[in-house]
Amino acid sequence: MLDAIRDVVRKSSIHVCIVNCGGCNGCDVECVALLSPRYDLEQYGIYVHNNPREADVLLLTGAVTEQWVDNLKRIYDKAPEPKIAVAVGNCPVSGDVFNQEGGHVHAPASNFIPVAAEIPGCPPRPSEILEAILAVGPQAIADRGRERQ
Amino acid sequence: MSSLIWYIYDFARKAWTDAFADAKTSPEIAEKPERFRDFPKVNKEYCIGCGACTVSCPSPNAIKIVREKDDETGEGLTYPVITPGACIRCGFCAEVCPTEPKTLECGLNHLILPEFNIIPSKRQYIIDDYLCIKCKKCMKKCPVGAISLVDGKMFVDQLKCISCGECLEVCPVNGAMKGVFVDNLQDQKDLILLCVNYLEDYINNKEEDLRALEKDGLLQYEVPLADFWDEAIKIIPDDEVALEIITNAVNRLKIRIIDWDKDKCKKCQLCIPDCPTKCISFDEKEDTIVRDKNRCLRCSICYQTCPFSVIKYFIAKFSLEDDKIIYTTVKASNLNEDIFME
Repeated sequence: MLDAIRDVVRKSSIHVCIVNCGGCNGCDVECVALLSPRYDLEQYGIYVHNNPREADVLLLTGAVTEQWVDNLKRIYDKAPEPKIAVAVGNCPVSGDVFNQEGGHVHAPASNFIPVAAEIPGCPPRPSEILEAILAVGPQAIADRGRERQ
Repeated sequence: MSSLIWYIYDFARKAWTDAFADAKTSPEIAEKPERFRDFPKVNKEYCIGCGACTVSCPSPNAIKIVREKDDETGEGLTYPVITPGACIRCGFCAEVCPTEPKTLECGLNHLILPEFNIIPSKRQYIIDDYLCIKCKKCMKKCPVGAISLVDGKMFVDQLKCISCGECLEVCPVNGAMKGVFVDNLQDQKDLILLCVNYLEDYINNKEEDLRALEKDGLLQYEVPLADFWDEAIKIIPDDEVALEIITNAVNRLKIRIIDWDKDKCKKCQLCIPDCPTKCISFDEKEDTIVRDKNRCLRCSICYQTCPFSVIKYFIAKFSLEDDKIIYTTVKASNLNEDIFME
């Protein structure tokens, strides 16, 4: 009974934190576009906090630069359970154009923290990001919440 | 208190609750727009395995060329595979793909389309700075302000130009303002070459007239345009364009013609070493001097060298008006006489 109530609450209200681990800001701009009246993220019960301590979903953007290797783990640890990380754009997935020979990026981000979903695109459309969060987020959070017990 | 009850009553109406529950983002916002350049589409069967797409790709892991296993039917297909996790949807691969039809298709790409032009016009208006007298009449006349003075030269901004042709009419200098055709430059060259070759052959064939021509005399011919119009229309199948190109070329044309009477030639061979392109040679079998027309520059050095004045040098000018007849005037050069005068 308590689990069921928790699931309902966790599924219907998702708090998001955008973590830019060394990217070009393109995906961050698309995430900001999600907040605009045109896409209106909050009608789906998603809130952007930019504070990992309140976040259920970490939106990773950027190709994990050297300074972010340790900090990414720290930020992930700070987020309360249950939590998931979603890679937005190509950078956290493959390193994209920054992953050249002799480059100093440590993509993919899944080497350091568990990544639940990947959204390809450089940058992905706001609607694609929204779709991915809604498709993966609620169930993943609920499942993770049960795992912990 | 009554207002609070009124509010509660208002929110509890069925229409309101339905509208609240059904509130959704309209589909046109959620869907990708028609012109959106999505991930490239691969048509396996057209690929020739050249690898141009992998070279052009800015992302290191986005395109891999793979080859399927050979089987009884023949060699396995070679084709590119796009990794969405690394592709940045730039469309360069589709742009460089040399196959026809394209193996890789990636939305509408501006660089694949022909050059952008606001008005679908065959002409491009340009100003010849050498002839322009900077009277600025075109600048005042231009209805869209496309013509301006840049670094002391008149300049037409092609992005603003609407190809109305007003500047061409107002220009007081013949040829300073040009409305040139830009699509088929090679065809235009071929057409001018055809026209010039025809006129030169026409004059060269009038041997008797040329040899009988007096010192200050003039030869006048009327060459109908219809003689080579059929061939011209084969090169550029647009009547208006072809006529204008021929008119422009012919009215500015000055052909120099070299001719000599082989019977009067004394075979002194003085002209042979003087020719700068070595196009004059002595044919021992036939015992004549021959000139290679295609290499000749018409520079008149042989004419000035010839001690017996056998080699003749003529200058021809042309005029083509609306009646489609090329009025041709040929006169003998007086270069040698001038030298004698001095």
